[in-house]
This record gives sequence, structure tokens and C-alpha cells, in this order.
Amino acid sequence: MKNVEPPKLAEKLLLLFLRRDLAEEVLGDLDEQFYATISKHSTRKARLNYWYQVIHYLRPFAIKYFQSNSRFNTMIKHNFLIGFRLILKNKMQSSINVGGLALGMVTAILISLWVYDEITYNQYHATHDRVVQVLRKDVNGDQVQVNSSQVSKLGVYLAQNYADLFEEVSTTFYRNGKQFLQVGDRSLERLGYFFSVNSANVLALDFVAGDKMDSTNLYSILLSEQLAETLFPNENPIGQAVLFNGQADLMVRGVYADLPKNSTFHEMEFIVPMELVYNEDNPATWDNQNTKIYGLLHPGVKVEEAERAISNALSANMPNNTRKTSLLLHPMDKWHLNSNFRDGTLVTSERLQYVRIYSTIGAFVLLLAFINFVNLNTARYHNRVREIGVRKAMGSYKTQLIGQFLAESLLYSTSAYVIALLVGGLTIGAFNELSGKGIVIPWGEPAFWLVGICFVLLSAVLSGAYPAFYLSSFDPVKALKGTIRQGAASGRFRQALVTFQFTISIALIMGMITIYKQLEHAKARPVGYNQSDLITARGRSDTYREKFNVLRNELLRTGAVVEVATANYPLTNDLGNNSGFKLRSNNEEFNTTFNTIFVTPEYGQATGFELVKGRDFRRESEGELQNVIISESAVSAMGLENPIGQVIVSPMEVYNRTANYTIIGVVKDMVKHSPYDVAKPLMLFPTYYPTEHIFMRLSPAMDYQQSLTRIEEVYAQILPEMPFNYEFVDDAYSLKFTAEERIGSVASLFTLVAVLISCLGLFGLSAFFVEQRNKEIGVRKVLGASIISLWNLLSLRFSLLILLACVVAMPLAAFVLTEWLNGYTYRISLDWSIYLMAGLGSLVVTLLTVSYHSLRATRANPVDSLRAE
Amino acid sequence: MKESKLGDFEETILLLVGILGEDAYAYKLADEFEAQTQRSVSIGAVHSTLNRIEDKGFLTSDMGEASTERGGRRKRIYKITAEGQQALQKSRDLKLSLWRQFPAFAQGKLNFVLG
Repeated sequence: MKNVEPPKLAEKLLLLFLRRDLAEEVLGDLDEQFYATISKHSTRKARLNYWYQVIHYLRPFAIKYFQSNSRFNTMIKHNFLIGFRLILKNKMQSSINVGGLALGMVTAILISLWVYDEITYNQYHATHDRVVQVLRKDVNGDQVQVNSSQVSKLGVYLAQNYADLFEEVSTTFYRNGKQFLQVGDRSLERLGYFFSVNSANVLALDFVAGDKMDSTNLYSILLSEQLAETLFPNENPIGQAVLFNGQADLMVRGVYADLPKNSTFHEMEFIVPMELVYNEDNPATWDNQNTKIYGLLHPGVKVEEAERAISNALSANMPNNTRKTSLLLHPMDKWHLNSNFRDGTLVTSERLQYVRIYSTIGAFVLLLAFINFVNLNTARYHNRVREIGVRKAMGSYKTQLIGQFLAESLLYSTSAYVIALLVGGLTIGAFNELSGKGIVIPWGEPAFWLVGICFVLLSAVLSGAYPAFYLSSFDPVKALKGTIRQGAASGRFRQALVTFQFTISIALIMGMITIYKQLEHAKARPVGYNQSDLITARGRSDTYREKFNVLRNELLRTGAVVEVATANYPLTNDLGNNSGFKLRSNNEEFNTTFNTIFVTPEYGQATGFELVKGRDFRRESEGELQNVIISESAVSAMGLENPIGQVIVSPMEVYNRTANYTIIGVVKDMVKHSPYDVAKPLMLFPTYYPTEHIFMRLSPAMDYQQSLTRIEEVYAQILPEMPFNYEFVDDAYSLKFTAEERIGSVASLFTLVAVLISCLGLFGLSAFFVEQRNKEIGVRKVLGASIISLWNLLSLRFSLLILLACVVAMPLAAFVLTEWLNGYTYRISLDWSIYLMAGLGSLVVTLLTVSYHSLRATRANPVDSLRAE
Repeated sequence: MKESKLGDFEETILLLVGILGEDAYAYKLADEFEAQTQRSVSIGAVHSTLNRIEDKGFLTSDMGEASTERGGRRKRIYKITAEGQQALQKSRDLKLSLWRQFPAFAQGKLNFVLG
């Protein structure tokens, strides 16, 4: 501790601006504070605090009086004045300059905020560095799988036996669905978690009212602030009763602040005790993997250490398990960006890839903006040549000239930054909508402004350095004589920069087209059943199961519904998997895991699945229950030539049935999980018992509104306590594309910005280019050149640059995009049309941009240009 | 005319100077402020306020002795002037008179503890 010293850099910064007569007392005070903080907190905290204190000394009374009579200050002021006048003088060029920079900066700001939001995911939870999720690694032959589903007993076991590692162990269901909440006559279906009573500690929930739950009264519920507001408007929710799923009255114990969108648990709107489900009457078991387990490690316990300790906790308790199973701990800080396991180890996940892609795009867009600045400023050299000559002749140093140009670019970048902040503030809402985020610009954060200031300075230097050094190096004699001609080298340099800009733009355009095409390709994929006119609802209560048949008959009688069926899993995910099936004729088990769904016999009629061979289920005899319908991929997974009539032996024990099932039909594959993956082999088992997910095919003859009203009436009549909450299956299915749609639209947006910036640069450059050749054009016109030939002359050079850019961009983009596409099983290939569209598109845009100035010049009266001077 | 009113924060700081006596310098004042009010404040803010009060003539200051934890640097000790005392007195009198006119308080219905 004795060796620790206050941060030297902060001290230097302080002395830079602090009045000299205050230095002794202030430094003394800060030192004292620093050592006092160290003795109470960590060194890191003390250092941070030191910086904080230094920044807070930036107050008028403490700052040195810079406005001395020093000539240095006068000159700096003069530099800014000249810069300001120049901006006003060339309004067109300045607005292109500032506009382009501002666009680049807005993009950079939005992307940085997005990236910040991503990398601070889950950091809302104060416990984020200590929370771990307990995962399960199964080794089955050479297959390694990491799963988050755990047997319910494991949570209890870990809490009891590893109290030295875990402060808390909290369990929730693997899938937490929507539940019905009722207060008075207000009834809502909301997503909430069954979660151990100690979950509030694990998640470090911030209570707005009331307190956390305890195990003495399990009939309690915690509400999010928003839900509390909805359920109890203008009332104190604490101590009120909420009827839960029509079954039990739960007392509101606490209201916690809504979790931000960048928390894994942001969808959770309330918490009810997991102990209501598993308790002494209904103990947790070692055989049903239906929970997720979260642990809060004691401070100082290392994740690896804890992982080693508990690694065998599961296999020790499940001796009959043939698979090699061990436990892993996945720290909360890695849940969002590092959560892909391949063969049991963490690999780069898609999310992290998106963060990288976006950051790259952001950096490129900003770079494009800087390039514009450099290009426009060096191209305009001739406006400044005489000024520089005079300044140098008067004895100006090169460094002073550099200072002048840097001051100008600082002026540009500051105004661009101000514009960018304004635009950013106005568009953040739309950007959130587009990217599915809840980002707030941290106006009140000193750090935000500090980064902003650094950013402005950096961009001033990056964009101003080359023009500053280039322009200040002119020979004064030549400059005054007016004999400085821009060398071919600097012209080539500018052309290279333009080519580079368009290389990036073209690559981004290709990316955008590819993402879009891939998305359309997946959307157009046949799903294996008929999504139109299909709605789905859920039923869970005992009354529902008793009255299902009545409900079905009544619904059919209204004419609004053609068919009603149920299944134990929805159409839009592939949960419900089993392995260990074999053929009766062959004693060897299939390696494949099958998606096994129990459906009522009318499932085919309701969903409209496509029967390829055999027949559909019939609601006939008990014998029908020993039949099964499988999908095409299941047929090939089993390697069957003639599937119909074959008998499958199932490992599943189902009440009242034997293990043998005869295949009676084959259906087309149903796309249930990811539209980009191969479909899972599917087995449909018939049942007469109504299960959770209800599917209704609406009558095409009736309009939706009418049908839905009728269904609602039937519900009110037969199941009055169950509200009719439905969802169209195609809507639910289209949610699968949200992630890609978001990536697509955000990428398109930034591509557009990139193209726009490049075009702005090109626009400015072509203006200059045309201006330079004004006399030449005049002479040519007088000699009889046509507008077309002149246009050709002026645009050809730019077209060549674009072609060059294409040659560079396309292979690069193709390489990256092929990598990206390889992540999908169901994908498009990069065909020539993508290349053609990107190339032609950018060529057309370029010609349009360039033509504005070249056409204006060619159509002007040659007398004007020739008479000038 | 020289500004001679006392702001709320200024008043608190002035009182703290009185409380701390020989120990009244920027760091200790900031520390004491946090301890007494549970509000965080930067040394810079306190220093700036002290400076302002001194300008108004309510405080005087002198360099005190040095100590090792300050890296051998001296500290600036503040003292309340007679005018400062008066200003505090005035502010207290005003508030007390206002409190007395507050009907609920006058009837003893409010259970505030006077600080």
C-alpha cells in the first residue's frame, strides 16, 4: 500500500489547467483523499476517484487565466476566425464537408452505443460477476452436447452440498410460459417465471416497493413495476391478492424496477415461488430435466474452481445414466456474447460476430467520412495557394500553418459533432425500433462527453493531418507566382481514396443484397403445413381438458372453424425430443433423436400437413393409438424403403399402450425450429387426450373478425374462466426472422449511409474537377463537341474508378459472405446476379452524381467560361 | 455592490467550517459534508464554494501546516469572519421566524426535530 501513488497522468492534467497558487493545497487535498479511499476501498476505486476529483476541478475559479497577452493565444483565436470565415465563404463545399462528417459521426455514435449496450449486457444486475448458470455436458459416443436443462433435484442438491461455493442457488423452469393473472375483473396473460424465493438476491432486483419473498409464505408474487402499474393502477399493490391461473390467490410481496432490455430476464414480468411447485409434498426429482439452475457464487470464489468442484455432482447421483455427464458453469458476463458451445467448449457466438460486423461497418463509414474531408480539402488547394504564399512570405512558420489547418478541421469536426448529436438524439427512437434495442443516449454521463471530446479531437487530427501537412509544404515563391500545379501524384492519391471509398461501398452493397436474398429464400421455404387461416391458443386447466370435446363440437358448429386439434408442443419450436427408438425387425437403436409430438387425430386436418404416403389418423378405436405418422426426414434417418406398415419400438412409456407403433403415414418435413436448419425427423403419435396447444383452422368462407368473435362467444359460454388468447401461426413463425431482419435492416441503413457519404465526396470532387477543366470545355464546345461526347469525357474517369473498385471489392466481399452463409444449412449461393446488381447499382449512382456537375458545365454557354479573367 | 446573500449549499459549508474549526480545509469539509448529509460532493465543488464565500467576505483563509499523507504539502484552513457569523445568525433567525408562523408547527402538531 505504501508504494501506491496517485495516477501521474491525472496529476499532470490537473496542473495543466489549475491556477498555480492553488496547486499546493489542491494536490494536498487530493492526495489525502486518495490515501483515505485506499484504506477504505480498493486501489482501483481510489484511482478512479482521483480522476473524478480532477475533472471536477474544471471550474471557472480554479482554471488558469489563459487570456493573457500572449501572442500564442491571439494566433489561435485568429486561426479559428479565418477558419470560420472560410466555412462561410464556400457554403457548398463546407456543407458537403460538415454533412459528410456528421453522417459518419452519427453512424459511429449509434453503433458505439449499440456495441456498448451489447457488451454491458446483464450488467444491470449488480451480481453479474458472480452469477453462473449450471450447464450439463453430455458425451454420447463422439457427440458432445451442452444443455441448460437440468433435473429439478440438482438445484436443491447443489444448495445443500456446496454452500461453501454458492451463496444462493436458484431454480426456474426450463420453459416459463405465459400465465393468467386476475385482479378483480381484470385478467391478463403475462410471461412470468417460477423462480426460487431467493432469486431476487441472485438477480439483485431493485425493489421499488415491498420486499423479497421468503419461504414462510409461499403464496406470494413479485411484480415488475410496469405490471404492477397495469394490474393496480393508482393503488398500492403491496399486500393485494392476484388470482394465479384461476387456481390460487397470491399476495403481492414486492414490486421491482423493470429490468432493462439488455438483461437476459427482461421478458420476465413477475416471479412466483418455484417452491410452490416443488416442495415437501411434491419433491424435486432426479429424472425430469425441466429446470434451469442459476447460482450466486460467494465473493472471491473463482468460476473454474467451483466448476471443478461440482463437475461430477450430477453423474454421482445418476448411476444408471449411460451417457458421460458433467456439469459446467457459465458466468453471467458470458451469457450474451459468448454462449455458443461446440463439442463442449465455448466458441465465438453469432452475437459477438454481429458486434464485430457492426463495429467494422461503423469504423468503415467513419473512415469514408474522413476520406471525404481529406479529398475535398486537398483538391481545393488552389483556393489557398496564394494565401499560403503570402503567409509564408510574411514569415509564418510551417508549424503555424499546420496549426491553422488543424484549427479549421477542428472547427469542422466540432460542428459536425454537434449536428451528429442532434441527429442522433432525434433518430435514436427509430434506431431502437430498427435494432430491437432500448438504448438511451447518456446525456448526463461525464464519460460520454469525455469520449465525445476525444472523438472530436481525434477526428480533427485524422481528417486534418494530411491536408495540413500537404498544404503547408508549398514553396512560397512558386505559390505566389501561381506556378504550383497539382502533381500527378496527389491526383492519383485522391483517385486511390475514391476507389477505396467505393470498394467499401460496393462490398457493403453486396452484403446487403445477400442478407436480403438469404432472408427471402428462407421465408419462401415450404414449411410442410398450411400456415394461412391457422390460429393457435393454449389450454391448461382441468376444466379445459374435461370440456375440450364440448368446446371442439361447439366451435365446429359455429361454422367459424373447420377443424380443431391439440398437440403437446407448438408448431414453432422443436421441443419434445426422444431417442432410443428401433425397428421391431432390427434390434439396433437408431442414433437419431426424434421430435416426438402427441396429437389428437384431427391434427392433420387442422394444420394441413402434407401427407406423402399412407393415411391420416382416424378417430376410431383404441387400436389407432398404436399407430404413428413420421416425416420424410425420419424415413431417411431410419433408412426405410417402404415405411408404411413397419413397426417401431419406442422407449417411451405411455400409459395404457404397448411399445410397438405401426407407421401408417409419411408427411413432408415440418419446419418448426429454425428455417435455416435441416428439419428434425418427426414422429406424430395420436392421443385422444387434449393437450396444451390448441390449433384451429378458420373457415376461409368467413372473415377473420367474424370468426374470432364467434370463437370468443363459444369460449365465454363453455370455458368462462379461460380468456380466448390466440395467435396466428404465421405471425408466430415470422418471429423467427426477426434477428436476421434486424441485422438486415440495420446493415442496409449503414450501407446506405456509406454510399451516401461516398457520393457526397464524389459530388464535391466532380464539382472541382469540372471547374478545373472549365476552359477546356469551353474551347471544345466552340470547336463543336457535342454534349454527349463532353459528358463522356468528364464521366469516363470516374466510371473507370468504379470498375477498379468492383474488381477489388467483389472477391473480398465474396469471401466474407461465403463465410457468413456457411453458418446456415438452408442457404442461397452467391450467384452472378448479386455481383451484377452491386456493380451496376454503384455505377449508376456514380454517373448520376457526377453528371450533375458535368452536364451543367457542358450545357453552359462557352462564352462565359472563356471570357472570365 | 458585492453579493452578500448565502445560498443553501453555501450555508451548509459555512456551518461545517464552524464545526470543523482547525480542521476546516477543502478535503475534510467535503468528507464531513458526505458524512453528515449522505450526499456525495467533489472536493472541487466544495473548494469553488469556499472561494465564493471568501469573496463575499464571510470567510478568511490561511495556509496551515503540512503532513505526510499530503505529500508534505500545506493545506488552506478556513475561518468564519464576524460577517460570516452575522450572516448565519440572520439566516437562522429568518428560518425560525418562518417556522413560528407555520400554523401546524405553532400548534405543535408536527413532530419535526429542529436541527
